[in-house]
Amino acid sequence: MDVNFMNPFVDSAAEVLKAEAGLSVTRGAITMHKSALTTNDITVLLSMIGQVQGVVLYEMPFATALALVSRVMGQEFAVFDNLAQSGMAELGNVITGRATVRLSQAGYQATISPPTLIQGRGVTISTLDFSRLVVPLVTEHGELVVHLALRQSASDKQNVGLIPLVVESQKAIG
Amino acid sequence: MNVKFLNPFVDAATEVIQAEIGYVTRRGELRLEKEPYITNDVTVIISLIGQVVGNVIYSMSESTALFLASRIMGETFTAINGLAQSGVAELGNVITGRASVKLANAGFGSVISPPTLLRGKGATISTLDYARLIVPLVGDWGQLETHLALREANGARVVEESFAAPSWNPARERP
Repeated sequence: MDVNFMNPFVDSAAEVLKAEAGLSVTRGAITMHKSALTTNDITVLLSMIGQVQGVVLYEMPFATALALVSRVMGQEFAVFDNLAQSGMAELGNVITGRATVRLSQAGYQATISPPTLIQGRGVTISTLDFSRLVVPLVTEHGELVVHLALRQSASDKQNVGLIPLVVESQKAIG
Repeated sequence: MNVKFLNPFVDAATEVIQAEIGYVTRRGELRLEKEPYITNDVTVIISLIGQVVGNVIYSMSESTALFLASRIMGETFTAINGLAQSGVAELGNVITGRASVKLANAGFGSVISPPTLLRGKGATISTLDYARLIVPLVGDWGQLETHLALREANGARVVEESFAAPSWNPARERP
């Protein structure tokens, strides 16, 4: 994980939360993790593919998710229904999308996948051999924690992040 | 979800399981679901981006995961440790990679993301407005449920539109 990839996400998240939810964001202490992540209530997962590749996760407790979605959508949500899920996933999508624009300005082109939303505490999510840079973003409604499991990929190798087994398997299949 | 995306995955999984695990695979009954997926013990998530866009989810029980990992890695696992996780994720990766080659041959080029592995029953995973085609793959090796939440992309619209608009509406249907 290259720390250069962090600021585009922090800046984008701050901008998007300011513009869409009217919230100011401060960055908490950054940590680096090798072990799997144990989920909080809500997790938004997006993949990135390109010169930067890997997985970006946004996780937060219910209360934070509901407050953020309520502000972004301009209506109160008491339960995390389909519309709230859609709003939350879209928030992750917009932050990540903006971050990719910044990354491309810095010379790293990447494309993002559609978001996936995971609900449920205590599931472990492993990004395998991608270590995660964990960036807590503190708002008045609680913490939105951004996990960046990203790597620069070599231009001649699409799947640089994968374990060597892939080479063997492809040989075995022919 | 376009059903023509189905066969590349079924064929790829059958071939990979035959080559890597040494077992025959048959396809169970298909279902189409809009509701979120409730996780089984082990779940592998891989995204596709390109002319076909979306997520592929492989779901299995712990015993199937252990068996598959043991066969792939050539050693017996009794717990889903780091190496076993790597093996299962890699299986998802190889199946998806092979399917993406077949999709490209059919005119839908795409790139796949690195796999993400989830452990734990009972969480819900929503692919939002992407409906999932569920393909159970069964054999003497166990059962692997493949969830395809895929769509044909409309050019470069997918990524650009979502953040270009200064004021977005999350309720809007994503491309």
